[in-house]
Amino acid sequence: MSDTIELVDKLLADLKNIGGVEACIAASRDGLLIRATMEKEQLMDSLSAMSATMLGAAETAITQAEKGVPNRVIVESEHGKLVVVGAGSKALLIVLAAPNAGLGLILLELEKSAKKLKDILT
Amino acid sequence: MVETGIPKLDDFLDGGIPKGKSLVYYIQPGVEGEIFGMQTIHSTLKSGGTAIFVVSSTIPDIVKGQFKEYGWDIDPYKDKLFFVDSYNPLIGAPSNEKYVVQKPDNINDFNKIILDIIKETPPGTIVFGSLSTIMDLCGEKETIEAVKTWNKMAMVHDHVMVYNFTAWPYSRETLELIQGDLFNAVISIGGIAERVIFGQYFGVLKSDWAEITKKSMLFRVLRPGGVKLFIPKILVTGPFDAGKSTFVHALSTRAISVDRLGTTIAMDHGHVDYKGFSADIFGTPGQERFDPIIKLLSGESMGVFLVVDSTNPADFVRAKHMLEITKSYGLPYVVVANKQDSSGALKPEEIRNQFNLPQDVPVVPVVAKDKIGVFEAFEILIDKITGGA
Repeated sequence: MSDTIELVDKLLADLKNIGGVEACIAASRDGLLIRATMEKEQLMDSLSAMSATMLGAAETAITQAEKGVPNRVIVESEHGKLVVVGAGSKALLIVLAAPNAGLGLILLELEKSAKKLKDILT
Repeated sequence: MVETGIPKLDDFLDGGIPKGKSLVYYIQPGVEGEIFGMQTIHSTLKSGGTAIFVVSSTIPDIVKGQFKEYGWDIDPYKDKLFFVDSYNPLIGAPSNEKYVVQKPDNINDFNKIILDIIKETPPGTIVFGSLSTIMDLCGEKETIEAVKTWNKMAMVHDHVMVYNFTAWPYSRETLELIQGDLFNAVISIGGIAERVIFGQYFGVLKSDWAEITKKSMLFRVLRPGGVKLFIPKILVTGPFDAGKSTFVHALSTRAISVDRLGTTIAMDHGHVDYKGFSADIFGTPGQERFDPIIKLLSGESMGVFLVVDSTNPADFVRAKHMLEITKSYGLPYVVVANKQDSSGALKPEEIRNQFNLPQDVPVVPVVAKDKIGVFEAFEILIDKITGGA
């Protein structure tokens, strides 16, 4: 088990190294924290739950509108950005970024990391 | 009897560790198990006992810092807590402790000091911070022989012996002996990566004074706080306007909700710290149009609160349906009979009848807005989740 944790931690640390990224979280689809790069576990807990809710709601909304499945959920605010992507059927990845961070590279890397996370957890 | 200080473990051990007995925390590598020995020291001191901590893998000052990190003030216990320093001599540094093992790679040196302590100090708790480190330095066979003597002498002198042991790949005989005959009790501490939650658990592998419960408990280590039993998800569900959010907020140390126009549209999330438990609470919306989200979020729950409005029996059908949606059948659940202060509220027994609930499902009278009955409901559900031991 410690191997799996190490792999997830490495993946999150790599993702966090991208310019503009402030924190990364791996969570389960049903909203439980798996691992995070941030120490404040308590904040991470509720962020995981809420992000899973957002992605779940987005999925339901867009599927019912017959527009397929969502690639990601992006939230932009004055003070930062939040991106949630699915990583396989069990997990999801959450990234917090600075308000001026360019999303291009982040989304690209996030996509790759999500695939990796999916493989690690299966 | 010395309490281990680990929630629930003392229940499993019929109250704690009797005088003269030995106990080993058998820790899988990579799991935060060393805190178990420290928590037992803290528990000993709190109940007025004397404690000796044999520090082998770091300097005593760092250990003292760790006690602080967990929020345990050891300063008032200066004449009750002693350290045996077997680390400073190893790195050639001077030691300020009362007991110092000058040659930590020589078991005879250990033997002399430990036996002196056992004979000369009043009955107390002797905790080895890391038996595996001693074993690495002094050899497996030699250490085991010494432990045998220590345990025997401790029995005569009424000390409680507690060892942290990290199960590195030692020889099979050594590991079997440690899990088997060497100690009066073995608590196994391990990790799981089953499904997607990475958890840590402990369970009683052996105990020659208490009947063994097969139950394993998930835990996490909080700073401050120490070892807390961890319940990753408890679901709060029920029909529209039953008071689910109010219940989550009444119970939680911290909680957040996604509300619009006074009703929950996404979910409530709360965290409860109560009596050694650390639990996360997920509250679902009640209206039917949110059912797809409820399905998504209810996975991995360990127990369910079904909140109902006691004045509104018409909604009980919907309540039952929600148990189905959340796939909660088979999980332990407690019916929270809310709004007991309103006129026309049905009594818990009336609700049981209307609902056709089996006798073993508790119905707890609650007034969530005044925090009446919420913690009773929590304790009852926790008891059901943890097997009521």
